[in-house]
Formats: sequence, structure tokens, C-alpha cells
Amino acid sequence: MRILTYVFETALSFSEPVTDHSFVLRCLPKSTNTQTVMDSQIFTFPRVTLDEQVDGFGNRIMVGYLPEGHDSFNFYTTGQVMVAGDMAGTTPCHPMFLQPTRLTQWTEEMANFAREVIASGVVILSAARSAESKDLPGCDVGYPSTTALRASAQDDNGLGVLPQARGLCRAVHERFAYVPGVTSTSTTAAEAFGCETGVCQDYSHVMISLCRSAGIPARYVTGLMAGHGATHAWVEVHDGQRWHGLDPTNNNLVDDRYMLFATGRDFEDCPIECGIFRGAAEQTQEVSASLGDATSQNDPEQFLTF
Amino acid sequence: MTSSEGLSEPPVSAVEQAELQSAAIDEPFSGAVPPQSSLADGSVQPCCPADAVADMEANKPQIYTRLVGYSPRINQQLARYGVKFGLYKNGQFEERLFPFDAIPRVISAADWAVLERGLIQRVDALNAYLRDLYNGAEIIKDGVVPEHFAYASSGFLPQVEAIMPPKGIYSHISGIDLVEGDDGIWYVLEDNLRIPSGASYPLVARTLCRRCDAQTFQNAPLVDNRDYAARLRAVMDHVNCGGINVVLTPGRYNAAYFEHSYLAERIDAVLAEPSELFVENEVLYYRDSTRNTRVGAVYRRLSDEYLDPLCFLPESLIGVPNIMSAYRAGNLAIINAPGNGAADDKGIYYFVPKMIEYYLGEQPILHNAPTYLPYYEDDLAYVLENAQNLVIKDVAEAGGYGVVFGCELEPEVLADLLAKVKAEPRRFIAQEVIDFKCLPTWIDGEEVPRKADLRAFVLSGETTTVWPSGLTRYAREAGSSVVNSSQGGGFKDTWVLSR
Repeated sequence: MRILTYVFETALSFSEPVTDHSFVLRCLPKSTNTQTVMDSQIFTFPRVTLDEQVDGFGNRIMVGYLPEGHDSFNFYTTGQVMVAGDMAGTTPCHPMFLQPTRLTQWTEEMANFAREVIASGVVILSAARSAESKDLPGCDVGYPSTTALRASAQDDNGLGVLPQARGLCRAVHERFAYVPGVTSTSTTAAEAFGCETGVCQDYSHVMISLCRSAGIPARYVTGLMAGHGATHAWVEVHDGQRWHGLDPTNNNLVDDRYMLFATGRDFEDCPIECGIFRGAAEQTQEVSASLGDATSQNDPEQFLTF
Repeated sequence: MTSSEGLSEPPVSAVEQAELQSAAIDEPFSGAVPPQSSLADGSVQPCCPADAVADMEANKPQIYTRLVGYSPRINQQLARYGVKFGLYKNGQFEERLFPFDAIPRVISAADWAVLERGLIQRVDALNAYLRDLYNGAEIIKDGVVPEHFAYASSGFLPQVEAIMPPKGIYSHISGIDLVEGDDGIWYVLEDNLRIPSGASYPLVARTLCRRCDAQTFQNAPLVDNRDYAARLRAVMDHVNCGGINVVLTPGRYNAAYFEHSYLAERIDAVLAEPSELFVENEVLYYRDSTRNTRVGAVYRRLSDEYLDPLCFLPESLIGVPNIMSAYRAGNLAIINAPGNGAADDKGIYYFVPKMIEYYLGEQPILHNAPTYLPYYEDDLAYVLENAQNLVIKDVAEAGGYGVVFGCELEPEVLADLLAKVKAEPRRFIAQEVIDFKCLPTWIDGEEVPRKADLRAFVLSGETTTVWPSGLTRYAREAGSSVVNSSQGGGFKDTWVLSR
């Protein structure tokens, strides 16, 4: 268990003033089975009344409308959350997370790829299991041990959902090159799978597609990760008991260095900011984020990273 | 088999406002037609002399005979008013006239009583299903509807999960497509719970017929259908969350603009385009030159995915940003509710009789066309055995695509299709071909038999009622069962007799 402090700031600039600006923000953490929000504040400039609602995916959304002309729109949010992945209780899974979406529709090639990865994973994981080792690269925090993994739902080969998802996570990580600027927010999983490059959104979409093609419920997560100065995206899979986070971009199991804002079937369900305005302006945005450890026994100034 | 693609977004395009008003408001013969009054028990008082019925029973002349000669004239007027429908063909938007045949479909009071009860029951169950599906989905947990069929439907919108619409009503206006089989039994072919259109065709046509020959309407024991607007308005008022009623149209260049403006005027609602609406602090406002007015109910004539670019398709340019926030907050009724597509697709149709039993504890009054789900093993075996007698539909395909008659396929093509059905049984449904009744139809100067279906309009407000009329569509070609307007079919008025 840790307490994390976060600061997240977005500055939107318009090349000329815009009016009638309606927007939805998903930049406040929600309480889930792995994190509890202790405090969260939001401030916008220009000032605007925000209405907090919950969307169909259970996310906190802030809804607003700026009718007057403005050439920038900034929002700052900050707060503290308690993360405790190891103390998570069970949560149900909605069947929608097994269905493809327009961004996560898989191809036959992808389904075959997923099948092969899972089949080869049987070997790797049986070895790992016999050694009772924690073969979890990049994961330095105590998180589900192989014992816990074995306790979860298992396939015909006796391989649980989580080891299968781990295999897919690693396979995506190894297949992909992290190259910003090649893909866009509307790039589909199939397209990204084909060009084998992308950013965290593409890694996540591909992994989600692969999981769903193999019958594993998977969802898209946006949030912050310590050491990552921007927003991040990763994947959660449901093992029949609860959601488990996996980060294909970094080949990590998600632990208490991660704080989540929102979840959905894919990116389109839970963008951190979306808006519509009048005006032929070009929009540019700058984002900065930090997430640090504020647990009392640690030095509060000692952020994990920036 | 019929389907309703041609009408997915409705008829009738722009009309000269002055003429519209004269047609719509100044009923030229309204003085000559005694108004009918509903009795307390809901029955409608007949308004005609007894000999009209005797006429009918004698079979000749029919109660509508005097109208038949007016067909060309009425069609001319419909064309002048711009009563058209729009369709997409090869990616191009086209407007076409919708031919009108003055010989109506006539439904006896006894038949109507059964239809009415059956339609109310069906729509009540469909509303109960939508309420359940988006709020806990007990029917899925109880195994009555398989999970896959509920959530693979493209009409299922997770964005409306757990939002309870005002008064719990999802489908306010339901268009149920039926046919009368040769055996005299009515079968439901399709439920339309999104934006079922077409009520204005028979409304306009009856007005024009009445103008041509008021005598017919004085004599025939007809249930008046002119209260459609009053019924629609009562529904909107019932669910209104405070504020005015608005009809939301994509704009004056939409092929259905006529119907939008016609209905808005009749129900005394404001006709608004998306740019005239905005949302602030969870409230929808209509903006005109002087002030902003709060909107409590919106009858939207644009489909779910385009309704709110901040909730559904981000590239939609015709939606109202954040209209869903007003809906979520309970400050706005959206008619029909977003997400209804989850209950009216091809895969879910099979389960409607089961919903009636599950939610209402009643036996279904109306029949489905016998339908098989290859998902179930017994049904798969039957479909493989009897494919040449069945219509096979691909659930994943929208509209009329992916609908094939087994008997029309070459043996090898049919075999290919059946292999697909075997490989992906969940993707398909199969139905018996219903041989449905022909109606006398006036085509090229003579009365000929043509197959026809019926779209009945069911309105759900404080209570669920069926509009005693409907849109009857007939096939252009002899023997054809394709009544789609896009295939050259036409329409008829639907007369419900009061006794």
C-alpha cells in the first residue's frame, strides 16, 4: 500500500479565439478495487462551472461549457490516492469487454498470433511455476506471485488467464517499437499490429484485441505512471475474480506506481480530454504530469521520478 | 420476408409551408366528418350509418371504392407536397416518390383488438428488457437471453449503462412490422425501436383522400387516426423533465425534413437544428434570437451515434455536444432513448416471446415468424436440413444486407453459406418464409393482388397505446414479397374499423 500524490496539467492553445466550447474531462482519479481517492481537486482557466458525472463505464467525468471567446483552455488537477493492488477485493466484469470495438477489431492473423503466444506460454510458465519464481521482468514490487496466478481461472492446459495475459503482454512488448508520431489516436489495433510501431495507446489496443480474440476480457486504462511525465495507457484483464493491470509498453505488471483515471473498451470510451468548439482554430496541447510517493514514512519531497 | 431499410430514416421531403399548413390544419372537409369520440372504456364510437357496413358485407362496392379513381390525383398532390423518401444507393443519396394506392388495408375491429393487445404486450416487454439490460441485466444472468446475443449487438451502447431514462421509458415510439399470413395469422417480422418513421405518410394520405371524397369517410365505420399528434404530444409531456418540447432535425436538407416539420407543428413543439441547441450545467437550451429556453424533452430524428460527439462518434458534426450530460442528470427526456438498438436487432428478435414470459408472466399474443438460432444445436441441425426453405440472415450485417432466401441460391453457394453457419453459428438466424396475404392494389389501371406488410405504431407514455392506423407497404411486382420502398413498392392507408 502506498499513498501517491499527483499533479496533472494540460494547456490547450487555439490559434485564434474559439467560442461555444463544450468539453468532457476524465482527469480525476476514480476509486476502484485497487485505489482509493483521498483527495482530488481541479482548477480550470478560464474559470468555468464544472459538473461532475459518472459515465457508462463508471468513470468520473467533468462536463463544462465555455460560450465566450477564448484562445486557451488550461486545467490543473492534483490530489492524493491510496493504491493497494495487493489488497484488492473481487469485482465483476461486464461482458462488453469481450466484444470487439472499431479500434480493437482483431484480424485472423492477430487471433492466430494470440493462440501461438498462449500455446508457447504453457511451456515457459510451467517452468516458472516449478521454480516458484517471480519471473516478472520490470516489476520490482511484490505483486501476484505465481501461486496467486495459479489460483485464478485456468484454461484447458491448466494455464490461468493471468499467465496467458502476461504472455501476450510480453509478446506485444517484444513485437513493437516505441515510435511516437507514426500512429494517431484513431489508429486501429489491426493497423498498429501491422506496422509494429506506436505509442502506449497502440500497445494497449493491440494487447486488448489479442486478449479478446482469445476470450480474455480486457479493457483500456488511462492514468499516470511514476517516472512518466505524460499520461499513460495500459490494459486490464479480468481473471474471473477481478481486474489485473498489465502495461505492454513497459512489459510490467501494474503495481502501486500506477494511478488510473478512467477505463473503457478502448481509447474512444475514455479520452482524458475531448471538446468541440466553434472556430477554425488549430489546437495544440501541452501536458505535464508527475506522480510521486507521499506515504508518510518516506520523504514527502522524494518523488519517485519526474 | 420484408425488411424496413427503405424507411430507416423517413419519407417526405420539403414542402411549401403554406400548402403544408392548408393540408395539415385547414382540413377542408373537417366539417363534413363528424368527430369521433372515445368512450370511457376506450372503444371508439362509430360515426357511420349502418348501411355502409351492409355495403361492405355485400362485398361490392367496397367502402373505399369511391376513392380508387382519385389515386392519380392524390399521387400528384403527394409529389407536389414533396412526400418522398430518401435512400442511399451506391453511396449516393437519392430522393424518390413513394407511390400511394388509394385502396386501403382494412382491418376489422375484432382483428384489431387482438393486434392491439399483442402489440402493447410486446412493446411493454421490450421496454422492460431495455430497462433490465442497462440496469443489472437479470435476464442475462437468468440465462434467458445468452450474453453473446445481448452484447454483440451493434445497438448495445455501453455509454448509457445504468442511466435510467425519465419514467423508465426507453421506447416511446415503436414501429412494429407485421404481415398477415395466408392462414390469417399475424406475424411480427421486425421491431423498430430507434427512430421508426413513416407515420406521417398515412396521416397525409388520409387528409388528401378525405379532401377528394369526404363522403367515403362519412360512411365508412372508421376509427379516426387524426389523433396521432395528440398521442405523441401526451407521451412527450409525460416524460418531459421541465421545459419545452423540441423536435430535433438534422436540418432542412434532410430528406425527412417534411416529416420533422409536420410533426413538430402538429404537436406544438419547437423544430430545432443542432446548432440551435446547447448544453450548460446539465441543462439543454434552445437558443433563438431573443433568449435561451430550457428544453425538457427532445424528439430527436438523428441516430444514436450522431447524437453527441462527446459521448458517441467523435467525428459527428450534427450532434449536440454534451446533450448526454443533460440526459444523465435526469434533466432531459430523449425520445427514443439512446441504446434501444440493443432490443431490435435480428439476433434479439428470437427472444422477444421469451421476454414476454419472463417480464410479464404472460403468453405472447402475437407470433414471431418461426425463427431458428443455429447457436442452439437442435436449431442448427434443422437449418442445415431445411436451408432451401428458409431465409438466412447475418446478424452482423445491418439493414437488408446479409438476408438471403435459401431457395434462391445455387447449391454450391448455399453449401458455402451453410459451412459459414456451421463455423460461426452465432452470426446467423434463419426463418421460415411466411407466405403472406395479398391485398387488392390499383396498379396501371386495374385491381391486382399484391403482397403487403404493416408497420404499426405503438406509443408508450403514461400507458402504452397503439395508433389505430399504420403504414401499409405493398410490393410493386406480382408475387414479390419485397415491400421495401427502395424496391419500387408503394404504400396504402390502413383503416381500422370501429366495428
